[in-house]
Amino acid sequence: MRKPLHLDLLKDEERLSASPIRLRVMLPVFSLLAALGIAVWWSVLVARAHTLGLQKAGLENAIAELKPAHTSLLALRAEEQDTAATLKQLAYYKNARVVFGETFAKLADHVPEKVQFTELRVPPPPPLPPQDPKKPLLGPTNPVERVTLRLAGRTSGPEPVNALFQTLRTPAFTNLIRSAEIPKGAFRQDTARNAANRETLLFELTCECAPRRFE
Amino acid sequence: MNFDAPLIRKLAPSMRRALIVTFVALVIAVALISFAILPTRARLKKLASEIDVLNADLASVRADIAATDRQKDKTAALAAQRDAFLESGVIEPLLGSFAMRGKALLDPFAQETGFNIETVKELPLIPLQVPSPAPLQLYGRQPVEFSGRGSYTQITAFISYAERALPLATLSSLLILGQPQNPEIHKALITFEWPAKGEKRKP
Repeated sequence: MRKPLHLDLLKDEERLSASPIRLRVMLPVFSLLAALGIAVWWSVLVARAHTLGLQKAGLENAIAELKPAHTSLLALRAEEQDTAATLKQLAYYKNARVVFGETFAKLADHVPEKVQFTELRVPPPPPLPPQDPKKPLLGPTNPVERVTLRLAGRTSGPEPVNALFQTLRTPAFTNLIRSAEIPKGAFRQDTARNAANRETLLFELTCECAPRRFE
Repeated sequence: MNFDAPLIRKLAPSMRRALIVTFVALVIAVALISFAILPTRARLKKLASEIDVLNADLASVRADIAATDRQKDKTAALAAQRDAFLESGVIEPLLGSFAMRGKALLDPFAQETGFNIETVKELPLIPLQVPSPAPLQLYGRQPVEFSGRGSYTQITAFISYAERALPLATLSSLLILGQPQNPEIHKALITFEWPAKGEKRKP
């Protein structure tokens, strides 16, 4: 009886596959190439970063060289802003100016014969509200200041005072006097004078003038 | 990680070497990506954005500097406007006194109108409303009180003359009191105010 004898004399590593692409060669080659490629990519990135770093340093130098000229320009701008703010504050004052002289001068011509003024008063500006010590303000925050005029005097009766009151509402006075009123109890007897003059009445007129607008 | 040692041992040595080389190369590649590529890319991105900002800054600085002459003219024009305003009636103390300054300013009108100034008193400065942004040098309202005597016509003429001649003088308060013993001559307390330098703010 014949029996085939199979002799395998090849070692495992000597066994070749039928494919021409050998995995044990290609795998390390590709992985090494990949690693090499990544290293090249990195070196390109490093070179680019170096170039950008130089570019940045160049720009910083250029800005630093221009700094003195720029600083003087900024100082000019700050000066302009400060001057503009000063002018604005001074304009607040100018805009709030109220002129009295002409109106007071005209008043003398319009006072009825039977009216004699004893007092003409424009009260001083109201005092400023107390400051918060924790947060002190540089100036008042209310831009409007009330201006009033008080006229007091003697008269023979209410009619001349009413005539004066009507006069104060004519265009000759309305540029300064916005409203006028005869307060309640404004007429009272002049008790201080002698008995012959007891017929004389004391009166009072209050007027609201154009406000001072600090704006 | 669990390696199947018998399986590796079963592989041919050349295959084992190939696997080891592949593994090492892959580790190097991953390490390069993680510790070199990604940080370098982040740095590049940062540098690029910094350069963009610097380029914009440089362009703006150059444009600003190119406009320096125009800015000088603008600043000088405003300063001239301010100086003209200050000269038009912002008062400064005379020999350290606003009362003296006020008297010096109004005496000619008193003489012209016949209003008799008896005393002059400097009142405390009233702060003026402050714009935003606030100027470094603040200004206030400086009242000066004049007391005197005169007829109603003299008093009103005195006020009118002052208001006409001094464009920044403002009547701040007034009290005219009749005198029973002399009905023609009144006692008057006239307070005029002018803009004046206040405190200087720290920048």
